[in-house]
Amino acid sequence: MNDGLISTVLRRGFLSLVALFIAAPLVVVIGVSFNQTRRMSFPPTELSLKWYKAFFTDAGWMKSLETSLTISLLAALIAVTIALPIAYAVWRYNSKAAKGLAGVGSGLFLLPGVVTALMFSAFWGMVGHVGRIENVILSHSVILLGVPVAMLSVGFQSIEKALIEAAHTMGAGDAEAFRMVVRPAMTPYILCALVYVFVLSLNEYLIAYMVAGFSVQTLPIRVFTALRSGYEPTMCVGAVIFILLGFAAFSLLAAIGDLPKLMGRNRPLEA
Amino acid sequence: MTDLAAPLKADDTEPRNPDQMVLAGLLSLPTLFLVILCLVPLFLLVQLSFAHREDGGLWRAGLELTQYRQLLNPQFLRVALFSFTLALTTALISVILAFPVAYFISRMKRRAQITWLVGLLSTLSLSEVLIVFSFQVLLSGSGGLVKVLVALGVMESAHSLYPNFAAVMVCLVYLVLPYIILFLYPAMSQLDDDMPAAAATMGASPLRAFLTVVAPMVKGPLLSAGLLVVIFTVGSYLTPLVLGRPQQWTVGILISNGAMTTGNLPLAAAQAVALVSLMVGLLGLVRLLTKAGSPAS
Repeated sequence: MNDGLISTVLRRGFLSLVALFIAAPLVVVIGVSFNQTRRMSFPPTELSLKWYKAFFTDAGWMKSLETSLTISLLAALIAVTIALPIAYAVWRYNSKAAKGLAGVGSGLFLLPGVVTALMFSAFWGMVGHVGRIENVILSHSVILLGVPVAMLSVGFQSIEKALIEAAHTMGAGDAEAFRMVVRPAMTPYILCALVYVFVLSLNEYLIAYMVAGFSVQTLPIRVFTALRSGYEPTMCVGAVIFILLGFAAFSLLAAIGDLPKLMGRNRPLEA
Repeated sequence: MTDLAAPLKADDTEPRNPDQMVLAGLLSLPTLFLVILCLVPLFLLVQLSFAHREDGGLWRAGLELTQYRQLLNPQFLRVALFSFTLALTTALISVILAFPVAYFISRMKRRAQITWLVGLLSTLSLSEVLIVFSFQVLLSGSGGLVKVLVALGVMESAHSLYPNFAAVMVCLVYLVLPYIILFLYPAMSQLDDDMPAAAATMGASPLRAFLTVVAPMVKGPLLSAGLLVVIFTVGSYLTPLVLGRPQQWTVGILISNGAMTTGNLPLAAAQAVALVSLMVGLLGLVRLLTKAGSPAS
């Protein structure tokens, strides 16, 4: 039994250390954001909300936040709209063409960010459409396409084909079966895919920076430029907002969908 | 509409296959989208790498190897070698760390699992910009870590813990760790608990059972996870730029500098093509080796 105790202690200790490692930089940034002074010091000597006030009253930061949210929302909508027919065609018709498209999408996602960024900056340059917000939206939706395709495929596979056959034997046509069985089963997966692409696009900076330069300042680009020029306490506030946005989005995802299953667990789990 | 039309043209102008038509309708928009926004830009990138460079950041379409020849200089080769070494080291460390974490998480109760998953997903989604910035704060002379180390007597006086190789390394591991834990999670949750349990009843300690029974069962996913880390980090840019010295610069930094600062787009494109080719080559090599090693799988 002693052996079991030791391994429990070791396991807990190890997991706590990993959790600490994951939390450390975030805790430090959150702490620094409440600092009274301009200096980047942790732990904060005196707590204050003044940088939050400065952030939310600064037109530049607010504009960046708005730009970021617009880009991510639209990129998520476009990526999921394109991914849906691909994933559906793979599942329903076992289509080779659809599999090819899915492959192109996931291959693109795996290319290094600098490479895709360069590729898109050359592309938009050639089209003669430089420094526009649409460039970022479209580039993000293509780059991230592999993510919703994979998530929606998991969703389609979870639908029991027997259920659809049952709907057919009861006299339902394709469209009706779709409405009765496929749509309700897919809704949580679609929402999850939207949230996922939204969050990834929200945080992407290199492509955004290289296709639109400084004319479309998303929040990460602002932090990125500030990072290279020097420290500003409001940067911490921007970081905290992003940490909170991501956390809220994924908590929502855990609430609407079966997160362990979505992440690929295919065995039932005790409560 | 299809219900009415179907019996009418059943005999003469029968559509070859109704599924084919639906499929074409479904896939036309995605195909158009991917051709314009993926294949055309990819083609452009390759074309650019063979282009002729002109003054003032301009270039003219061509078919010359000037840029590729430039890649053979020792400086670029050194940077490329460093990029791959960095990526492979990151892969090794992060897989060794992530493997037990994923295993333990998959054995937790549902609530605990969801808490870990939400935590991991939240950090995974955080922009590299913000994580690098957080590490800058954490490792700075006035950040929390230095104070703790000085208080513990590990460090003699407070000074910043970056830029150096270790800072780059730790930050890269941090960036990929959630990805790799989540990547290994499905494989871990499918593992049978009977085998380690059997090993335990036969007298093996939990650690021994883990290493001798569990680890060989997930060799494949571990290798794929490592490759994924290499793919993710070989093009890393911001982390080595901010947390490293010029000795720790990567191909990613060269590419972005070429495109944004020096304005030599053809050279940047050639470097990008070279980077991707090396990546693909490495993947092919690993596949070949694993195939040769285990003919059963």
